[in-house]
Amino acid sequence: MSMKKNYVVEIIRKAQMVELLAKGKRLDERTPDQHRPITIQTGVIQKANGSAIVTLGNTEVIAGVKIATGTPFPDTPDKGLLVVNAEILPLASPYAEPGPPSEDAIELARVVDRGIRESEMVDLKKLCIVEGKTVYTVFVDVNIMNVDGNLFDATSYAVVSALRTSKMKKYAVENDKVVMKDQEIPVPVERTPVSVTLARIGDTLVVDPNSEEEGAMDMRITITTDDDGNVCASQKGEASTISPEHVLEAADTAIKVGNEIRAQIVEATK
Amino acid sequence: MEAKRKLIGDDGRRLDGRKWDELRPISLEVGLLKNADGSAYIHWGKNKIMAAVYGPKEVHPKHQVLPDRALLRSRYHMAPFSVDERKNPAPSRREIEISKVIREALIPAVVVEDYPRTAIEVWVEVLQSDGGSRVAGITAASLALADAGINMRDLVVGCSCGIVDSQVVADLDDAEDKEGSGDMPVAIMPNLNQVTLLQVDGIYTRADFQKAFELAIAKGMEVYAMQREALAKKFFTGEAAGPTEEEEVVE
Amino acid sequence: MVERKHVIPGDVITRGNHRYGSFIEKRGDDYIALRVGLAEVSHDGVKLNPLTGPYLPRTDDQVIGKVVDINGFGWVVDINSCFDGFLPASFVFGREFSPATHDLSSKFKVGDVIGARIESYDRSRDPQLSIRGEGYGKVPEGEIIKISPTKVPRLIGRRGSMINLISERTGCDIRVGQNGVIVVVGPPDGIVKTVNVIRMIDKEVHGADLMGKVEAYLGGVSGGS
Repeated sequence: MSMKKNYVVEIIRKAQMVELLAKGKRLDERTPDQHRPITIQTGVIQKANGSAIVTLGNTEVIAGVKIATGTPFPDTPDKGLLVVNAEILPLASPYAEPGPPSEDAIELARVVDRGIRESEMVDLKKLCIVEGKTVYTVFVDVNIMNVDGNLFDATSYAVVSALRTSKMKKYAVENDKVVMKDQEIPVPVERTPVSVTLARIGDTLVVDPNSEEEGAMDMRITITTDDDGNVCASQKGEASTISPEHVLEAADTAIKVGNEIRAQIVEATK
Repeated sequence: MEAKRKLIGDDGRRLDGRKWDELRPISLEVGLLKNADGSAYIHWGKNKIMAAVYGPKEVHPKHQVLPDRALLRSRYHMAPFSVDERKNPAPSRREIEISKVIREALIPAVVVEDYPRTAIEVWVEVLQSDGGSRVAGITAASLALADAGINMRDLVVGCSCGIVDSQVVADLDDAEDKEGSGDMPVAIMPNLNQVTLLQVDGIYTRADFQKAFELAIAKGMEVYAMQREALAKKFFTGEAAGPTEEEEVVE
Repeated sequence: MVERKHVIPGDVITRGNHRYGSFIEKRGDDYIALRVGLAEVSHDGVKLNPLTGPYLPRTDDQVIGKVVDINGFGWVVDINSCFDGFLPASFVFGREFSPATHDLSSKFKVGDVIGARIESYDRSRDPQLSIRGEGYGKVPEGEIIKISPTKVPRLIGRRGSMINLISERTGCDIRVGQNGVIVVVGPPDGIVKTVNVIRMIDKEVHGADLMGKVEAYLGGVSGGS
């Protein structure tokens, strides 16, 4: 789905945003390092192997996991497949159009995928059934249902929550044949990556920008951290600059805020 | 070739326990999406479908504009995780046809002449599919149009009936649709008593054709009562029945 | 005697021979509702007060809009409606206007908020705006909030009772466009209170004791903060 960058933020509101930020406040009364309330519901699509609906303020996304079996890539014969896909549905925003994914939607999917993959959240070797022949294929598809800023984090939390609560059929090799057993086993999840996105408005970095703040921002940076406080993925967005000081400040904020959100995700997906 | 399983037991009950003329459980909720001008969510059996409306709004690209009426755009789309085997997100031929018949089922109910040179967009997103998703989608879409406050002559409501184990049954689920011998989705404007969607596949005797068709309409009327309730729940629950002291009714 | 009832599209409001207003269709002897709303039958005729729906421009309406584009001949203004409004450059610069000599963005830029009047609107083209008159033109400051245009009468209240109450209690100047766009000017805490109470009014279902709820929310202190 494509998003037209047509959202014009009124000049007087942007001026007010910058004025309030100088006093450490945002229009919705959050402080710069505060994120909006997050809700997580899992197991909402019974036909999927796992699913989650996440709301981050008014941004709402749904992720569904479908697991099947297939052949591995030739260069990684002992690893299963994990693919993360995202679509901004036309029902999510007046600026979203149906059609093949725009560069925004593709960047969204790839950044979220990178955060999951680089953190090694799922040990792909544990998705191997018969090396070189049969592996699990895990598809995570995310549909954005309502856009109110920060699709990156909402999508990431939905993918992580859906994977943490996904079940797959157990396969065994019997008499040289791959046999599906009646048993269901959880997807092998090793750790819980958490993405935190900051936007720069005026001179201030704010966590979890909503739509209006995204309309007024000059720069956005998304940083994914893991359970040990390591940075495993990052992406700077928008055609502007970021100072080295802000990069380090963002990393520290992402670790701090990430830990708090991780606790919430783990609690919701027990 | 293995024998097809029986879809209706000796006791007359279907696989999920329903009798031949029973609807699956249905719930409707209006106005859940914040950005959309109108929206409605329908949970019909295992179907989970969100419909949203944007508009009336400017037409893009401009050359598609109609000088004397609104252009109604619609899309029926299934999420990749909505069915048993993951579906590729790109629109399939089936989805494209269903998008068209849904549009043609809704247009007669919308007073498009009241909104010249505009577009009205109707998006039907199937999050989980289990037989009868197009009529469920139309039922939700018509509520979304009413929620958006677009002038409508009537609502539109639908129901699918068909033939299973040589019997006419109402509201086929996925198994009955795939393994049965006929499916007939029907949508109507309930007050005007006009059919706006009719598709038939399978072989029906003349008698069965009439029975299935009339059953679909009768069941559609039951669903219409649920649509009314859903709108009342969002718009009409309040202590007073009319304007209160502090306001005037403005023309 | 006035008869009132809740209606949805397709409902018969009444039968007979009456005068009737917008959002109603006459089919034979029946008056059919075209919207979700509150219908009223009285000696004045049949009326329908819609509870939802877009802003439809009418000549002389006062609106608040946002400039979203500039072309050679004027400004394209988002007026929260099915159509964008158009403010002709000649209305602002006068008849001597020419794209070669006048720079439109020197007057209004993309992102500027303006108060305007609907000068003319017919079905064949976008509504024309005018800024002639006291109080129209660029809005220099304030917070912008949108509500459903059908809620504007409730926000204003009978003879302005509701809007005046909010203004007094929050210390803010509140300007309500008939298109559902509102400008709030005042101290930051007052703005936050005003925005929240307006959002509450927008969400409130018809018929609830709104004045009571608003009074309770705003408390007894007047003059803001």
